[in-house]
Amino acid sequence: MASEITEQYLKVIYKLTEDGGAAKTNDIASAMDIAPASVTEMLHKLDEQRYIKHEPYKGAVLRSKGMKIARKVLRKHRLLERFLADFVGIKGRSTHEQACKMEHALTDEAEHNLCQMMHRPQECPDGKKIPKCDKALTCEKCTSNDVPLSEVREGQRAVVSHLVSEDRDELCSMLAMGFVPGSEVLVEKKVSMGGPIIVSLKGTKVAIARDRGKLLHVVKVV
Amino acid sequence: MEIALAGNPNVGKSLIFSRLTGVGVVSANYPGTTVEFSEGRAKFMGMTVTVIDLPGTYSLAGNTDDERVATKLLYERRPNTVVAVLDGTRLERNLVLLFELIESGYNVVAALNMYDIARKNKLNIDVARLERILMMPIIPTVATKGEGIDSLLYTSIQMRRRSRFQVRYDSHIESMVTELAKNLKEEDWEIPLRAVAVRMLTGDSNVVEKAPEELVERAARLREEFKEGHGEDIVVHIQRDRFGEAGRIAKEVIGQAATAKTKKDIAKDLTLRPTTGIPILIGVLALVFVTLVFVGGAIEGVLVGSYGASLKPIFEDIAADTGNNITSGIVTGISLSIEAMLALVVPYILVFYVMLSILEDTGYLVRVVSLLDGLMHKFGLHGRAVIPMVVGFGCNVPAIMATKAMGSKREQLILAALITIAIPCSAQTAIIIGSVGKFAGAQWALLIYMILLSTLVALGIALHKIIKFEPTGLICEVPDLRMPSARQTAVKTYIRIKEFLLIAFPLLLVGSIVLETLLAMGVLLDLLEPARPFMENILGLPAIAAVALVFGILRKEMALQMLIVLEGTSDLSEILEPGQMFRFALVMAVFMPCLAAFAVMIKQFGIRSALAVTASSIALALVMGAIANALMHL
Repeated sequence: MASEITEQYLKVIYKLTEDGGAAKTNDIASAMDIAPASVTEMLHKLDEQRYIKHEPYKGAVLRSKGMKIARKVLRKHRLLERFLADFVGIKGRSTHEQACKMEHALTDEAEHNLCQMMHRPQECPDGKKIPKCDKALTCEKCTSNDVPLSEVREGQRAVVSHLVSEDRDELCSMLAMGFVPGSEVLVEKKVSMGGPIIVSLKGTKVAIARDRGKLLHVVKVV
Repeated sequence: MEIALAGNPNVGKSLIFSRLTGVGVVSANYPGTTVEFSEGRAKFMGMTVTVIDLPGTYSLAGNTDDERVATKLLYERRPNTVVAVLDGTRLERNLVLLFELIESGYNVVAALNMYDIARKNKLNIDVARLERILMMPIIPTVATKGEGIDSLLYTSIQMRRRSRFQVRYDSHIESMVTELAKNLKEEDWEIPLRAVAVRMLTGDSNVVEKAPEELVERAARLREEFKEGHGEDIVVHIQRDRFGEAGRIAKEVIGQAATAKTKKDIAKDLTLRPTTGIPILIGVLALVFVTLVFVGGAIEGVLVGSYGASLKPIFEDIAADTGNNITSGIVTGISLSIEAMLALVVPYILVFYVMLSILEDTGYLVRVVSLLDGLMHKFGLHGRAVIPMVVGFGCNVPAIMATKAMGSKREQLILAALITIAIPCSAQTAIIIGSVGKFAGAQWALLIYMILLSTLVALGIALHKIIKFEPTGLICEVPDLRMPSARQTAVKTYIRIKEFLLIAFPLLLVGSIVLETLLAMGVLLDLLEPARPFMENILGLPAIAAVALVFGILRKEMALQMLIVLEGTSDLSEILEPGQMFRFALVMAVFMPCLAAFAVMIKQFGIRSALAVTASSIALALVMGAIANALMHL
C-alpha cells in the first residue's frame, strides 16, 4: 500500500503528464508547493520503487504500477469534487482542497458506491475527465471494451454492460429474464447451425437467439 | 374466495395448481388472445375456493402477451390472495416477480417450491429471516410430493394483510415516482399509487390507458429526461435495482452461494450437439411414431371392437327401424361420430398427448427447439415451430392449437398452413400405409413422404419470401433434464383432451349426420357426379374416389373404409391399381384438413384465413395429383 505522500506525488505527475510528455521537477515542486530539492529526492525514491521512470533533465513519467495508483487517487479526487460540488453544495477552490485530503481516506468500495450514486459522472466540476475505474466491470459506462454476447467464446464469463435495443418490448423481455447490467453470464454453449447461445444466468440456463445476442453488450471477465 | 397462482415459468406452478385443485379444471383462452390460463376449485373445510393459474411470466410489465394476460386477470378478478410460486433453488431471480406483486398491493403469500432440491443442494434458506425481510408468509413446499400444500392453502385463505416491503429505486427514480404519485388520486386506482407511478414511468399500457393525459405526458417527459441524463432507458435501471435487491436478500438468507450450482453441464449435453442431437431426435420421433401406430392401433382395435359388439348394433337397429332416410341418417351419423371418437381421439390423440406432455416435462423439447432454431430461421420460422410440427404428425388439431407458442400471428398462420398442407397426420399416415404401403410397396409410400417433405421446405421458403417478416428471436429457459411427474402428465393431458373434444366433437357430429343423411337418401353419389370427368381424366381415379375425398373431410382414415363399403369388396387392390393408389394417397395427404382442424383455424385465425388455407391445400392436392397422373402416363 502506497503512503499518502507517494499517492500525492503520483497524482501530481499524472496530472502533469495527462496530455503527454514528462513531468519536470520544477513543475512538480510548484504544483505541490515544496522545494525542488526535496522533489528530486522523492523522485529518486519513487524510481527505486518502480512507480515512475525518472530521467535527469527530462523529467518523470509514470510506470504502470504508479499509473494505476495515480489514476485511482485522481479518480477518487475528482469524484469527491463532484460530490462536494453537486451534493454538498460547496463552491469554488475549497472543493479541490477538501478533496485532496479526503481522497486518501476513501476506500475502494466507497469510491465505487459514490460513483454509482452519482450515476457515473464523466467529468469533475472543472470539466476535467474522471479516470475510469480499473476493475469494477459493473460500471457499464466506464468500460468501453464491451463486445456483443455473440462474440464471447464458449466457457468464457462476461458481465452484462448494456443493452442496445430501441424496441421496448424486446428490451423488457430481456431485462425480465435477468439480463440486467452488472449480472454475470457464463457462455455455456453456442449451438451450431446458427442456433442460440446458451448461457448460465443467476442459476438458470437461458437460450438466447444469436441475433438477440448481438443486442446484449458484455465485458469479458479475465 | 379466489386465489391466483403467479410465478416464473418452470417453477412447478402448474403442479401446485393440480395439487390444490384436483381434476375439476377448466382451461380457457383469455378473450381476444391465444394465451391460456386454467381455473379450478379447491375445497377447504367445507369452503370452495376458486384457484386461477396465471400464465407463467418473468414480470408484470405487460410487454408480452403472457404478461398482459396475467396483469389483466389480476386486475379484473381481484383475487383475495396471490400465491407467488418461487423456485427455492433459484431464489434470486424468482424474487423479482414477487417484488412486483408486493408493489402492486396484493395480499401475497409465497410458496417456496422445490424445497427438497434446495436442501439437497445444501442451500440452507433461512425462511424465518426471509419472512421478516419481506414481511409476508413464506411456505416451503415440495409440489412433486404434495408437501406443504395444505399449509399453503390454509395460509392463503387466512391472508388478509399486505406486505409493507418496498424496493428502493435509485434516488432519481424515487423522486420521479414521488412526484407522479402526488398528482394521482387514490380513489381512481385499485393498486397503490406508487405502483401506478412506477408503471407510468415504464410505459405500461394497462396503466397509461387509464391515467389522466397530462400525467401521461409528464411521465413520458420524465422518461426522456432520464434517458438523456443517464444514457439508458429507465426500465433498465428499475429492473437492475430489483435484481440488485433480490441478490442482496438472497445472499442474506442463504449465505455465500446465492444460487444453486447446476450440476448438469450444458456444454456436454448430447441433445444439443448436431452430430448426436439429430440422431437422438430422429430416434425419439421414431419412438413416438411407433408407439402411436402400435399402442394406438391396439387400443383402437379393442375400443372399436367392443363398440361394434355392444352399442353399434343398437344404433343400427334403431336406424333400420325408423325406415325414414333422414332419421336413420341422423342416428347413423351419431353412431359414426361416437365411433370416430373411440377410434381416433382415445387411442391416437390421447396417447400422443401423453407422450407430448412427457417430452415437454422432461425438458427435452426445449433442447430440440434450441438445436433446430438456427436451421428453422432459414425457413422463416422459429425453433419453437418444431413442436407444432411434431404434434402435427399426431393430429392437426392440437398442432394448430400449439402454434400459439409462436411469436406473431403471421408466424402462427404460416406454420398452421405448413402443417395442414405438408405434415401428414396419423389418419393420413394410415391411408398412405394402408393403401400404397400395403399394396404398391414401401418404396412408393416413402416417395410420398419425400414429396411431402420437399413440399414443406419449398412452401416454407416461398411463404417466407412472400410474406415478409422477421421471426422473433428465441429467448427461453433451458431447464435441466428431469423425470416427468405422472400427475402433471395426467392433468395436462386431461385439459388438452377436453379442449380438443369441445372443438372437434360438435363439428364431427353435425358433419357425420349431414353426410350420412345424404348417403341414406342416395343423393351423395349424384351430388358428386359433376366431379366424375375431373376425377377420371385429370387425376386418373375412379369417380367413386370423390366420395372418399369428401369423407376425408370428416375422418381421413374412414376414407379407405368408405371405398371398401361402397364397392362392396374388402380388397382395396380390386378398386384401385397401384398407380391410382399412389395418386389417391398423395392427394389425401395434401388435401384439406379435416373439419375439426378447419374449426380450430377459424377459432384461431378467423374465417378468411381458414378458408384461404383450406382452399390452397385443396388446390395444391389436386394439382399435385394431376401432375403425378400426367407424369405416370408419359
